[in-house]
Amino acid sequence: MAEPAMQLIGLKKQIGSKLIVKGLDFDIQPGEVFGFLGPNGAGKTTTIRMMVGLIRISEGDVRIQGKSIKTDYKEAIRHVGAIVENPELYGFMSGYKNLLVFSRMIPGISRERIDEVVKLVGLEKRIHQKVKRYSLGMRQRLGIAQALLHNPSILILDEPTNGLDPSGIREIRQYIRRLAEQENVAVIVSSHLLSEMELMCDRIGILKNGELISIQQIQNTEEDAPTEVVQIDCPPSYHEKAQRLLQERFGVTAMASGEKLTFPITRGEIPSIIKELAVADIEMHGFAVERKTLEDKFLHVIGENVIE
Amino acid sequence: MSNFFQLVRNEQTKLYSQLSTWILLGILVVIVLGFAIIMRTAEGIMPYEDETWKQTLQEENQMYAEIDPTDPNIAINNYRIENDLKPEGMSAWGFLYESHYLTSVLSLITIIVAGGILANEFRWGTIKLLLTRPATRTKIFFAKYASVLLFALTALIVLFISAWLFGMIFFGLGGDGSVLQLKDGEIVDVSVWTRIAQDYGLQLVKLAVWSTFAFMISAAFRNSALAIGTAIFLMFAGISVVSFIADKPFAKYILFANLDLTQFTTGYKMIDDLTLTFAIVTIIVYYLIFLVVGWVLFAKRDVAGH
Ligand SMILES: Nc1ncnc2c1ncn2[C@@H]1O[C@H](COP(=O)(O)OP(=O)(O)OP(=O)(O)O)[C@@H](O)[C@H]1O
Ligand SMILES: [Mg+2]
Repeated sequence: MAEPAMQLIGLKKQIGSKLIVKGLDFDIQPGEVFGFLGPNGAGKTTTIRMMVGLIRISEGDVRIQGKSIKTDYKEAIRHVGAIVENPELYGFMSGYKNLLVFSRMIPGISRERIDEVVKLVGLEKRIHQKVKRYSLGMRQRLGIAQALLHNPSILILDEPTNGLDPSGIREIRQYIRRLAEQENVAVIVSSHLLSEMELMCDRIGILKNGELISIQQIQNTEEDAPTEVVQIDCPPSYHEKAQRLLQERFGVTAMASGEKLTFPITRGEIPSIIKELAVADIEMHGFAVERKTLEDKFLHVIGENVIE
Repeated sequence: MSNFFQLVRNEQTKLYSQLSTWILLGILVVIVLGFAIIMRTAEGIMPYEDETWKQTLQEENQMYAEIDPTDPNIAINNYRIENDLKPEGMSAWGFLYESHYLTSVLSLITIIVAGGILANEFRWGTIKLLLTRPATRTKIFFAKYASVLLFALTALIVLFISAWLFGMIFFGLGGDGSVLQLKDGEIVDVSVWTRIAQDYGLQLVKLAVWSTFAFMISAAFRNSALAIGTAIFLMFAGISVVSFIADKPFAKYILFANLDLTQFTTGYKMIDDLTLTFAIVTIIVYYLIFLVVGWVLFAKRDVAGH
């Protein structure tokens, strides 16, 4: 595996006597979209603030392309583009002037690059208008534009879809995916919206009360995702035959309970399973596909949403 | 270094993109205009006519003598009468010099800019964008400070230009603005530039100290109202504190006791054993403390939510 784009090593944050982030350890790979999921007050923003050096790390470290944000700030932050919490920009200047000001802070950003990111976020028509006249969604887009100016290899977006309309959300999702897939950018997004995260992330880390309680791999390519659970309703006398067939032809182990046979399978294989079972003369009274969503998993691991 | 230059340039871009900055400069110009009108009106009361100016000067002398018989103006007026040197009256250059009284307005607007330049970034939330770039916090701090000084210089130039222009309109070009002064018992001719350098210079020391103070509070507490309020309050009220504690041994270490450098040109010292060197060293020490405290707190404190 390539060198991780970002590593969190025993990351902790204590404010006063309260431990807000309680030791996070994980890596984020180049080209990966990593979701940071958790209820309000879980510590997502606090973790992101530590990642970009806005607040001091109480214990542990964040390494960006191998460089510590604590001891090698300049080299580390060069690779990062970020929006922390809300996309706040200078309201009294035009969108373009905002980008111009930020471009001067990093050497080597040309005017062409500014035009390029403006186009990327679809703001060409309004870019010369004052930012205070922008809608929230437009500011969100401009925020993403400023984060992308210097071609960062890590993009950190704290609740990027906040305030966007459905088509805006879809667009952002699409270019987050495009950045990851085509430009190998590691993207870290935080959100409390599961359905959102499921669609754009490769992996989701679930944060609760400052602890990472689970990391879930998400399969976005529907074809090979073993997220479907199939339940067949057939008399127990057929069970052995069906189990053997499933094992031999599809390599899955079906569990028998009562009248039911249950097994996980990818969506793409469902048509051929139905065909094979029918050809083998297995008497089926029902064939049900359940989708176990991340939502279920999330609620399962999070439990009651009590803000500490 | 070019990096630092770009940061200062950015600060200037942001500063002059705000309407409030232009309003501050506009207020300065309006006050200069008002001052010119007042001076013009006052001059009209007692003009120096070609035939009667000697008489006018003698009347002035009687007025001075009633208040203070040792007033140097009496000697200067007598010298004029003896040598047949008619006073010039106000001119563009003379008005430019008189406008040094307006440096307190200059201080005020610089304090307002200094108090806001960092605190506003926190209020707007843009500090997060500023501090997640390769420029270190130290660089950003000093770029902002340099920008405040640059603004003060710009405002000073605006003051100069508007004072000269209004002087020109209201009083005409007139003479070169030089005046007679009594120095060690002798009357000397002092050019306008010498007087400008001295009297503006002494005022600019105060401006530098109080705007640095406002900048420190702005960096430390991230609140512009607090920064501007305390700096203006101390600038105006600080001096009166000195008279209460002038007899205490620590009084001479207090900033206010030293800050008014005109006490060394006029000779009316606030505390008897003050010297110019002591005052300058004290001011520099306070100045550096303000700068270092602001810098350390800005560089070390977490940038968390509001
Ligand atoms: N400056 C601070 N001082 C004290 N406590 C803080 C501070 N900032 C955050 N916290 C606490 O840290 C915890 C985590 O906050 P954080 O903003 O990281 O949550 P979050 O996961 O981003 O939540 P949200 O979904 O609401 O944005 C909260 O309990 C919050 O009260
Ligand atoms: Mg948050």
